[in-house]
Amino acid sequence: MRIQSFLAAAGLAFVLGGAAHADVRLQGGGATFPAPIYQRWVTEYQKAHPDIKIDYQAIGSGGGIKGITDKTFDWAGSDAPMSKKELQAAGGAEKIVEIPTVAGAVVLAYNLPGFNGELKLDGPVLADIYLGQIKKWNDPRIAALNEGAALPDLAITSVHRTDGSGTNYIFTNYLSTQSENFKNKIGSGKQVEWPTGTGGPQNAGVTQIVQTTHGALGYVELAYALENKIPFATLKNRDGHFVKASAESVSMAGEGALNQMSHGLAVNIWDQHGQKAYPISSFTYVIVYKDLDYLKDQEKARALTDFLRWATSEGETLAPSLDYAPLSAGVQKKVASAINSLTWSGHPIATASR
Amino acid sequence: MSVVSGTLQSPMQSPPLPGDGGRLPRGGASIVQQGGAESRADLLFALLARGAAIFILIMLGALVLVLTTAAMPSITAFKAHFLASSSWRPNEREVVMRDAKGNIMRDADGEEVTVTLPPEFGALPVIYGTVVSSIIALFVAVPLSIGASLFIVRIGPRIGLLLGPISFLIEFLAAIPSIAYGIWGLFVLAPFLQDHLEPALNAVAGKVFFLRMFHSDQGLTGRDMLCAGLILAVMILPIITSLGRDVLRAVPRVQIEGSLALGATWWQSCQVMLRYGRTGLFGAIMLGLARAAGETMAVAMVIGNANRISSSLFAPAQTMSSLLANEFAEASSNIQRSALVEVALILLVMSLLFNVIARYMIVGRSARPAV
Repeated sequence: MRIQSFLAAAGLAFVLGGAAHADVRLQGGGATFPAPIYQRWVTEYQKAHPDIKIDYQAIGSGGGIKGITDKTFDWAGSDAPMSKKELQAAGGAEKIVEIPTVAGAVVLAYNLPGFNGELKLDGPVLADIYLGQIKKWNDPRIAALNEGAALPDLAITSVHRTDGSGTNYIFTNYLSTQSENFKNKIGSGKQVEWPTGTGGPQNAGVTQIVQTTHGALGYVELAYALENKIPFATLKNRDGHFVKASAESVSMAGEGALNQMSHGLAVNIWDQHGQKAYPISSFTYVIVYKDLDYLKDQEKARALTDFLRWATSEGETLAPSLDYAPLSAGVQKKVASAINSLTWSGHPIATASR
Repeated sequence: MSVVSGTLQSPMQSPPLPGDGGRLPRGGASIVQQGGAESRADLLFALLARGAAIFILIMLGALVLVLTTAAMPSITAFKAHFLASSSWRPNEREVVMRDAKGNIMRDADGEEVTVTLPPEFGALPVIYGTVVSSIIALFVAVPLSIGASLFIVRIGPRIGLLLGPISFLIEFLAAIPSIAYGIWGLFVLAPFLQDHLEPALNAVAGKVFFLRMFHSDQGLTGRDMLCAGLILAVMILPIITSLGRDVLRAVPRVQIEGSLALGATWWQSCQVMLRYGRTGLFGAIMLGLARAAGETMAVAMVIGNANRISSSLFAPAQTMSSLLANEFAEASSNIQRSALVEVALILLVMSLLFNVIARYMIVGRSARPAV
């Protein structure tokens, strides 16, 4: 009798468990920049939760936003927060939650033969180089930032990315904060019209030109520059400190933006205050709807929140090994409360561990 | 078997064949007049062949239709200005308004009044880039390839050279994938131009007015209009050479022998040959030009990708096809995608024109079809 009821209970539990855990499949996609860390997170997460299948297709930020807008994706990745128009198309800003996951940075790679030491630049000088107003490496304004360094009498070849990309978006937005002239003449966007210099496709194309052209200066993702061991410049930040881009200094840029996060987490973290904050930094985001009933299945909603919660806490420790900057402690707290605010048909999602 | 019986029978005796339409082939009895099964197969084959030809025409028509439809937003937005504007700005730009005196306009709260300019596109720089890079290519490739075809047809046999391998190798150049040319251009030609040829020219050419195009104040990258033109020259060499060879071979022997009989030197007879084949040669050049204008990957790798018109050949530029390769996949707005499609449409029309002129000149005028 006791054995029988035990077996029955076990059987019932098995059936319930099976029903609850079967077929939880989360489809996501979007930005290519965070794809390696997302895939790593999925792999690690699935080790602990073999019944949950999570996909992420690296199809570009635009594709991710389109996917979450028409709800073909359960979650989307984007390097840039959604624009006002995009938010409207998705039903309004209050319907959408943008969650920072990791941060990245754009660095200035250079090729200066015979120059040993660390090149130092600042925003206004950079803007004028890309505007074509500073033409030579031995320009007095560059020399003033690099006291004591022997800069060659060499023409500067500025190199830009030709494809529409988050890197362009971050870089041009940063320069627009640094130079009124840049803002008015070039402006910001995923692709802009450059008045001077040479272009190459993606990080690899830009790097290739920089590496083979004496006097070249180009912008690439930090992760890409670190992997390929390309020398890059130290930048002067908002508080006047020269900062080398690293996982730590990019995290500090995120921390510097904490006080702007009262209305949503999608804040720009370029040009932040802080002794160690690297100026050309940016978050990349996971985008979901605030109310998860579009997932149709409460188990999916639970799985998604659990995955995001894990990724933005424990998962962050995996970020530096893949050359991403983890969220700083303060930002992680904000993100956790944003994930806790997600609902299922207006009710909080049960946080009981699975 | 039936062929034999068909020719033996009088045409009148055979019953009318289905599908033959009662028409008799020219020359009376022929192999068409055979058993029913085989003629049905002939009919089927004829229909299939005709269908295939029509299908290709429909495809071309559909292509033009789809491109035109997709380009419509851009065509209506920019109209003819598209062909004359040199602005290619995919991003929106905020501009501070100024009054007639040039002062910044401010609203009641003292805020600057700004206006947002929508993205703007114009194809002039890429049309310019396509034209100039093609001209450089022709400038280099035409003398070389006409010389090579003359060598294969007249000089080689005279000095008893084995021409098989030479012809084969020249035609083999056409079979090399364009990405291979691009890689060669990127890793061999561009560094050579950057480190040797361009600095040398830069040193002297800046001082002479009509050589200004071989001079640049900007940093030399080797990835520029000149590099793209030279890569294109290598790529169109084989097509002009092999077509030119066929054209020269088609020059009637009488022409050459006649000129020799009239006392022309051997070299003068070569000139006669070239003059006789000039329309065909021109057609060959036009086909080379069409290939140069449409070439994509190799050019995108070496041209420097800058949508600007520059008087210097040492400045980076952009062609229509390299622009498409660079921007289409990650176009940031629908209007940009539409503008890119319009560029593709212009390129298609241009290539079509080149090809029509070339075919007319080669096929319509020379003694023997060369293609």
